[in-house]
Amino acid sequence: MPIAVILGGGFAGLTIANKLAIKLKKRKEVEIVLIEPADSHLYEPGLLYYPFNDKPLSKLEKPISKILRKNVKHIKQKAIKIDYENKKITLEDGEVIDYNCLVMATGVDLKEERLGLTDKDNVHHFYSAEATLKIREALKNFKGGNIVISPSTVPYKCPPAPIEFAFLLDEYLRRKKIRDKTNIKFLYPLPRPFNIRVVAAKILKLFEKKDIEFEPFFNYDKIDTENKKILSFEGDEASYDLLVIIPPHEGQDIIKDSGLGDKEGFVLTDRETLQVEGQKSIYAVGDCTNIPVSKAGTVAHFAADVIVKNMISKIDNKEPTARYDGKTLCFLVTSSSKSFLLDFSFKKEPRKIGLHSWRIYGIMKKLFQYFYFGGLITGRI
Amino acid sequence: MVDYEISISIDARGSFCPGPMMELIKAIRQSEVGDFVEVLSSDEGSLQDIPAWIAKAKHELIDTVKKADFNRFIVKKTW
Ligand SMILES: Cc1cc2nc3c(=O)[nH]c(=O)nc-3n(C[C@H](O)[C@H](O)[C@H](O)COP(=O)(O)OP(=O)(O)OC[C@H]3O[C@@H](n4cnc5c(N)ncnc54)[C@H](O)[C@@H]3O)c2cc1C
Repeated sequence: MPIAVILGGGFAGLTIANKLAIKLKKRKEVEIVLIEPADSHLYEPGLLYYPFNDKPLSKLEKPISKILRKNVKHIKQKAIKIDYENKKITLEDGEVIDYNCLVMATGVDLKEERLGLTDKDNVHHFYSAEATLKIREALKNFKGGNIVISPSTVPYKCPPAPIEFAFLLDEYLRRKKIRDKTNIKFLYPLPRPFNIRVVAAKILKLFEKKDIEFEPFFNYDKIDTENKKILSFEGDEASYDLLVIIPPHEGQDIIKDSGLGDKEGFVLTDRETLQVEGQKSIYAVGDCTNIPVSKAGTVAHFAADVIVKNMISKIDNKEPTARYDGKTLCFLVTSSSKSFLLDFSFKKEPRKIGLHSWRIYGIMKKLFQYFYFGGLITGRI
Repeated sequence: MVDYEISISIDARGSFCPGPMMELIKAIRQSEVGDFVEVLSSDEGSLQDIPAWIAKAKHELIDTVKKADFNRFIVKKTW
């Protein structure tokens, strides 16, 4: 019996599992297996807003059993090794799973331990539920001073997220009436705040308007917690009272241990076929790949259709012909009521879709989580 | 043509901005003061971004060699 295995049940893995389940509904001879240790799925884009409100984070979660289609078998375990020569996956408890076709969707590993911090250091981030609750408390207790925002590595998930955080922080501090007592500094490893020049120019203008200081070419080196300073590899430093640092991103251990990744553990993936380098039966999707596109859910969404088509071709012993063109849709939130939407691909210059109305955005913001759980991740769209 | 004793050579051809620049930063982190690092990049953006980063980080851009479909940057780690 052909077995399609999806390794990792985050946004990308769940979407692919459900899309395959829809397409192969009548093909009982194909078994679809998802390997994912978690019971529930977190809507990560929502994390951006939760440092600034009091809502319970459980609002962003949904059990995987309510997302996954019935014809997908969920193995609730972590996988530790892929033997691609014999098409076998070893699980943490020693069980071995066979596959005919495999999709790697293991996301990224946030290496907070590499920063060597303790809870007392007033250094935070908002890239996990736990961290979001902590930064919320830190912001509640903040009375004014220097807030420094910086990613520690490139690439990191959702390139605009730290920028959006800075915009929402500006608004939050104004609401708290302590904006005049606070400097916001945005330190960035690259020459521009966004890889695409026209978008970067727009962001720089907004930074200026909102009095957010931007410093390019600041590549994180270390944090001096005693003197509350962040130091760069270029020899610069910035003092903070509260530091918001996006933790280092790496690929998962299984990728490194199975010899399928680059030095950082991101899966070596062909950017068009989405096949893993040198592997005809393994595809990769989402944040775990080394493809030069944003680590974002929208990228995974568009890539998922390509992978599903190619997997079905493989199952039917046909040549897989679907190709990913780099399509990315990117929301860029500029305040709690405004945003713009960008649309680009490998060959297409970014186009700004004219979403800059608070009314439309207000509605979209509320609907997006519904759309995410109700449409995207269920494989219907 | 001057030949340098290159201690780390990075072939970032085919990689897109900011890939080549980030690869260079990684190589400089790993090398010793006085070492020469070379990076090959086919991304046009590197022609601006790599020299700008070197100036900011106060290292030395020894040479930029233009080839048919890529550029070769030779950088000396100065501190
Ligand atoms: C604050 C924030 C805001 C964001 N905003 C947006 C946005 O507005 N728009 C957008 O498009 N994207 C956004 N993103 C990015 C988006 O959330 C991610 O790109 C998306 O979740 C990636 O999905 P993924 O499935 O590749 O990875 P993940 O969702 O991280 O899933 C990976 C899964 O693999 C599992 N796994 C890992 N290792 C193993 C193993 N060895 N065995 C088995 N399972 C394993 C993990 O348990 C996990 O469930 C945001 C991210 C953050 C943090």
